[in-house]
Amino acid sequence: MVVLVAAVSLLALLNVFGQWPSTATVAASAATLEVRSPNAVRGGLLYQSRFTVRARRDVKDATLVLGRGWLEGLTVNTIEPGPLSEASRDGRLSLELGHVPAGEKYVLYIQYQVNPTTVGSHTQTVALYDGDEPILTYEKTLRVFP
Amino acid sequence: MDIVFRAAIAFLFIFLLTRIVGRRELGAMEPFDLIMLIVLGDLVQQGVTQSDYSVTGLVLAGGTLALMQVAASYLSFRFRNLRPMLDGEPIVLVEDGRVLERNLKRERLTPEEVAAQARLNQIDSLDKVRWAVLETSGQISFIPKQ
Repeated sequence: MVVLVAAVSLLALLNVFGQWPSTATVAASAATLEVRSPNAVRGGLLYQSRFTVRARRDVKDATLVLGRGWLEGLTVNTIEPGPLSEASRDGRLSLELGHVPAGEKYVLYIQYQVNPTTVGSHTQTVALYDGDEPILTYEKTLRVFP
Repeated sequence: MDIVFRAAIAFLFIFLLTRIVGRRELGAMEPFDLIMLIVLGDLVQQGVTQSDYSVTGLVLAGGTLALMQVAASYLSFRFRNLRPMLDGEPIVLVEDGRVLERNLKRERLTPEEVAAQARLNQIDSLDKVRWAVLETSGQISFIPKQ
């Protein structure tokens, strides 16, 4: 019994139950996108997701489009810096970041809290556009423990 | 993973606190002590679980505290030298009717308080006590003269 409890605590130390963030980077010819966000969280936890767009060429109208997994069952406490506009793009959340000159970066922070009734796996897709032109897409899974 | 660290730190803090407060206060709790204990429990809970409302968080924090307790009792069982630090030692307060002032001072006890405890044990005078010992639990045990 003690071994079982110790094993659970050990798994927690190995970040199986969240909420330590992991970082992933996706690259395209126009820009790179770095996403730093936890892959596992628990009900009620406060956490942060960070999106870093690094422009390799001039991105006139950088737009980050977040799939429903970034919002479903989560409370968005704040988005900083505030995007130029927010809209729905085919059911996804479109955040217009604006002009990102070549060689510069744009960092977007989203602060979340997990709704205590949210449980299960959520697919989180994020796409970077220059206006209507797709640049790159990244997908990850967020596990929410009860 | 950090909930395991926070639970472990809380255990060590409470362990240290019980050593600072002393066994006299723990052995005989007044209404004020009881309220302080409840307030302390609430403060510890906030520090350990923070905004975590999940059952997983409960299992991790509770399991870690239980493991720390098992580890402390194992160390006390396995290593005799650690016992005074982990469990404390019995302290002789009265020897052959003679009050040991130095030991009383160490535990912030007065001879009147020891006499009151003796009366609760149907002993009307400390002169009739062969041994009065403050046990590690905070209780005073009395061995009357034959």
